[in-house]
Amino acid sequence: MNWSVVLMRLLESLLVTAKLTVVSLLLGALLGMLFCFLALSRNKVLNIIDNLYLDIIRGTPLIVQAFFIYFGIPQLLQTIIPAFRLSPDAAGIITLTLNAGAYISEIFRSGIMAVDKGQMEAARSLGLPRSHAMMKVVIPQAIRIVIPALLNQFIITLKDTSILSVIGIRELTQTGKLIIATTFESFKTWALVAVMYLILIKLLSMLSNRIERSLRNGTNGKSHKS
Amino acid sequence: MEQMVKVTNLKKSFGELQVIKDVSITVKRGEVLSIIGPSGSGKSTFLRCLNALETSDSGTVEIDGNVITKKHANINKIRENIGMVFQQFNLFPHLTVLGNVMLAPVDRKHCTRTEAEALAAKLLKQVGLDDKAESYPRQLSGGQQQRVAIARALAMEPALMLFDEPTSALDPEMVGEVLEVMKKLAQNGMTMIVVTHEMGFAREVSDHVIFMDGGYIVEQGKPEDVFGHPKEQRTIDFLNKVL
Repeated sequence: MNWSVVLMRLLESLLVTAKLTVVSLLLGALLGMLFCFLALSRNKVLNIIDNLYLDIIRGTPLIVQAFFIYFGIPQLLQTIIPAFRLSPDAAGIITLTLNAGAYISEIFRSGIMAVDKGQMEAARSLGLPRSHAMMKVVIPQAIRIVIPALLNQFIITLKDTSILSVIGIRELTQTGKLIIATTFESFKTWALVAVMYLILIKLLSMLSNRIERSLRNGTNGKSHKS
Repeated sequence: MEQMVKVTNLKKSFGELQVIKDVSITVKRGEVLSIIGPSGSGKSTFLRCLNALETSDSGTVEIDGNVITKKHANINKIRENIGMVFQQFNLFPHLTVLGNVMLAPVDRKHCTRTEAEALAAKLLKQVGLDDKAESYPRQLSGGQQQRVAIARALAMEPALMLFDEPTSALDPEMVGEVLEVMKKLAQNGMTMIVVTHEMGFAREVSDHVIFMDGGYIVEQGKPEDVFGHPKEQRTIDFLNKVL
């Protein structure tokens, strides 16, 4: 049993986990913005589309979504395009993106709703069109409000990558399983895997605390000369 | 004198509740109009109809020659010409005092950034806060915040200023400094409509006073008449309570 080889394999797969998380969160944030826009729109049809998306994602387990996208969708599409293939990585990223996008859109929406109505009114009373008032007055304030909830979602998505082991992606959890299959060292391997998740998440939350603090200084200017 | 504000037969309901029942007024350029009355009399809602923050159900509102109640009125453009000061100040907390005042002129391309900065500095001096340009709103007292809000509303160089109970959220010792700025503005010829509970200000500064109750104009006239010789029983009752 060579532990340095095991450690290397786990670290490599940790990188896969990190990549899956980052890509899914970036795409999820974009999707979240889009659906937040649909949710806040005055167009009833767009509201309904948003509700449908949220209901489907929140109403089904992530593992079922992963199976559906990796096994279900290709089977359907192969009846039209026989050569259609979906790699586990692509399926994994699509699943996590759709999942994170739904929760992030709700986080964005609640952040915008939490900004006092008087802010929009003040900006509109100066002659700013609604979209300008949103971009220059409401959203900058909403961003500060949503940071803690957004960090929480980042952590959830990071941990959710472990569920993608069921479709064969060699991320951290899957690699742990494979190592145990040959070494039978359950205790040590799962302990290592757990510590790696822990460190990554701790780093993430430290980073976010820092961002939160620097944004706060920007507004109340505690160090400010007055 | 030419007309700055002309409101005819304005009506507004919130659901079942009709808060404005047929109100008509005219305000001439350079005139100061105070609207007084008990809470719930519809005076704030009426003021908010003047810059379309509330949409009226019927009637017309004409500001400086533009009919804001028209179906395809360019409301943003018309609002640039109407400054508004709110009870709760509503300063933008993520921007400095200077940033608050400059936001609209820069966004609406009213002038260049440099010009906007000079304009903002001038306005802050006018309200006595030129030394607070780099501060954030939460570092200021309520009275200072409201003075910044007045400077911000003046930044688009409006022809009309609306004040929605501008001193009601202030500690008593801060009321004077805000009224002082408003008085100066009136003396410089600004057309103003002021919803207020400050009877002293209404009496001293306005050219015309309206007493509203239950969605109607109950009584109106020169301040010395409305305050000195009120004719309607409801006006007499109200003034007895507040004076």
